[in-house]
Amino acid sequence: MSAELLLSASVMGLLLGGLYASVAIGLSLIFGIIRVINFAHGGFLMMAMYASFWLWYFFQINPYLSIIVVVPLFFFFGYIVQNTLIKPMFVRERALVVEPLGVLLLMAGFDLVLANLALLFFKSDYRAIVSPIASATISLEFIELNVPRFIVLVLSFIITGGLTWLMNYTEIGVAIRAVGQNREAAALCGINVYKIYNITFGLGTAAVALAGAAMVPFYYVNPSMGLPLGVKSFIVVVLGGLGSIPGALLGGLILGIIESITAQFVTSTSAVIFSFLLFIIVLFVRPKGLMGIIEA
Amino acid sequence: MNWLFVEKLNKRFGGLVAVRDFDMTVEEREIVGLIGPNGAGKTTVFNIIACYYQPDSGRVIFQGKDLVGMKPFHVCKLGIARTFQVTKPFINNTVLENVMVGAFIRTSNTRLAKKKALEILEELDFLEQKDALGIELTTVDHKRLELARALATDPKLLLLDEVMAGLTPAEKMSMLNLLRNIQKQGITLIVVEHDMKAVMNLCERIILMHRGEKLIEGPPSLVANNPRAIAAYLGEDYATA
Amino acid sequence: MNKTNKEILKKFREGEEKFLLGKIAIIFFAIIFLIIPLFVRDPYFLHIFVLVFFFAYLGTAWSLVSMAGQLSLGHAALLGIGGYTSTLMFMEWGITPWLGMIFGAAFSGLVGLIIGYPTFRLKGPYFALTTIAFAEILRIYVENTEIGPFNIPLRAAMGLLVPLKGHAPSVFQFANKEAYYYIIFAMMCGAIFLSYTINRRRMGFYLAAIRSDQDGAEALGINSTKYKLIAMIISCILTAIGGTFYAQYFRYINPERAMGLGMSIEIALVGVIGGWQTVLGPTIGSLLLSPSGELIRAYLGGTYAGLHLFIYGLLLMIVILFLPNGLNDPIIKALKRLNNCLRRYPAKKELDIIKSKS
Repeated sequence: MSAELLLSASVMGLLLGGLYASVAIGLSLIFGIIRVINFAHGGFLMMAMYASFWLWYFFQINPYLSIIVVVPLFFFFGYIVQNTLIKPMFVRERALVVEPLGVLLLMAGFDLVLANLALLFFKSDYRAIVSPIASATISLEFIELNVPRFIVLVLSFIITGGLTWLMNYTEIGVAIRAVGQNREAAALCGINVYKIYNITFGLGTAAVALAGAAMVPFYYVNPSMGLPLGVKSFIVVVLGGLGSIPGALLGGLILGIIESITAQFVTSTSAVIFSFLLFIIVLFVRPKGLMGIIEA
Repeated sequence: MNWLFVEKLNKRFGGLVAVRDFDMTVEEREIVGLIGPNGAGKTTVFNIIACYYQPDSGRVIFQGKDLVGMKPFHVCKLGIARTFQVTKPFINNTVLENVMVGAFIRTSNTRLAKKKALEILEELDFLEQKDALGIELTTVDHKRLELARALATDPKLLLLDEVMAGLTPAEKMSMLNLLRNIQKQGITLIVVEHDMKAVMNLCERIILMHRGEKLIEGPPSLVANNPRAIAAYLGEDYATA
Repeated sequence: MNKTNKEILKKFREGEEKFLLGKIAIIFFAIIFLIIPLFVRDPYFLHIFVLVFFFAYLGTAWSLVSMAGQLSLGHAALLGIGGYTSTLMFMEWGITPWLGMIFGAAFSGLVGLIIGYPTFRLKGPYFALTTIAFAEILRIYVENTEIGPFNIPLRAAMGLLVPLKGHAPSVFQFANKEAYYYIIFAMMCGAIFLSYTINRRRMGFYLAAIRSDQDGAEALGINSTKYKLIAMIISCILTAIGGTFYAQYFRYINPERAMGLGMSIEIALVGVIGGWQTVLGPTIGSLLLSPSGELIRAYLGGTYAGLHLFIYGLLLMIVILFLPNGLNDPIIKALKRLNNCLRRYPAKKELDIIKSKS
């Protein structure tokens, strides 16, 4: 395989990885702090994309502009989901009815609900915006970079940086990290743990909504697109390391590059097998992932 | 020949040395007490004997067999049963079902296991509660259940980890009688305890651990008056007082 | 009333026979299901029952892994292994699916052993994700492979069309729905009976202990790895046999439908909504979900595509939030309360019975 081909595949992989990372970072935050497997993560992504799409369709709002509306909206959505759906599960856990799989199943059910609500209301047609930016490209020496995809790649870094700054330099971030490390101790320090959980879930959802809005220019929107990306996000989070946001970035980029390169040898649908194999290998061999703090 | 022989056990967790060069011999039908302040390494020794942890070095010889490297369930089959400090009954099952789980180690027949379980419950005066769910029990009942489950496995050696903790003085009295009865049936007991009165009352021989090492060993009266023992529990100032 | 009935009633009233109503209910349903095909001729109606029994069977097989304390979201892979093995053996070498079924089951059991051994020690959600990963790997592989190992044509995404032989019982093909109805009904009863037997015997107690507190179980002499694997292997074998039935009933099997995440989720749904760690739970779940799902899909599927899945998702959420052990619990509790109401005399405490006997 020629060096040129390898290089262009790597660049495509980087763009793909940026997409995976952007989507997965929210999940990494939620998992790292609250320790729940949000099976509906893909569903949230899908809904955010529809929100952004319909804003373009009815009000001609540019997807990048729609971020101003969509992101805060989904922050509140995530806040409410955590508060009304997931919190009861935690409260129940205290009463010794331990059900670690409960939240996973609950969110899986929620994902089914969201995906099929979308199907019922929006039908299964693939939606795409029509806009000059969708096909804009930057020309590099050997490859044409699709601008929206490139923006998503940059976005993944911005989200990572933003969340890292939040975690380390703001009071709320310190509270969130404290709760993530030891929620009883945090509660004893006067932190309202459930409120922090709500905020964290809101942030994670806002992050994936941001990614979704930025994906609308180039990614076809459709009710069933959420699940595959949601599952990919789990792979990214495990690969990058549970509880590490930079890890999710790294994991996403690596996954994208691996998929892109293997797709040169096998069909692109087959390339996904390697992602799953990687996931399994990481869980067995190095459960902490690349940069993880928590063990699987 | 030594019945239970623990030789030069060493165990560290990262930087913390939990057990250091620990030796112990136990004869059949003894009641031995293992005491010491928190963090002395008593539960770790139990966990090593029961093969819940593997020691970094050392041997545990039980009736001629070296237990190091075995799995916990195998050790139980050989006749060593243990209770846990934090009692965890099988919460979704009844008391009877809990005890039957223990009884099944010696028989695969449900009827026989049930019969054995009922016998043990009767011995422990626990028969009234047999259909109570694990989740509904009080602390003292938790302890009795732990004991019943362990007894159902027909052990030769019983490792009891703080079985008195959380009991009222009256409950402790009845537990002491219970333990003496168990010894009468031919079962050897090693007891980790914080309640000094109970330990002095029950045990024929006491081993005091401190910071992972064996400090003193001997009959209760010897250990109770030993200044080093007092120093270990209460600090140097009291030893000379 | 003859003598034995009188004895039974006496035992019931005096409290020795604890749950007569439950036994009557089961016999009642069994008889109803057995005679339905004699009165109902509409093939679509019978088809719905076949689906009910089929998913009850798969759910019961699936629940054996749940009883070991793990949630599997990849069982469709085993269904596919069973169906593909028996169908390929029939298509390529003319071996009857009745025999191919055994090979499929054996192969599936082996896969369960090899994959289960390293995977079982993962904690709940990670085990579930790993089962998804394994199932997807298999599905994607088959979907993209025309010719597989040993030159066996897997036919990729096109799937396998079972060669039609008309009415040929010797190769597991029947011209009428009734035969399939009775076969899957028998399979379902067999699976339920197996689950019931396991739970009554030592293995059932051990599995309950393992899923409650594995360390405590090991301290009582239970080799948890061994029992978890046994449960897994039995589950795999049963599911694979279900795969052969699937292939022979629908006469077509493809990776997307038979091995896909959707199928795995449907199986798990039936189990979880009914009661994922109970004997009758999956059957109850299937009785509720299969007919409603199928009817909604058939009559409203055009304009309201996805409605049945929406309802399934909602049901799942409601069950998890309010009835974590599934619908099985409240139903059995209600039956027991009714049972105790019917006793004219207060139930003699079991304690007294034991004491009077010793």
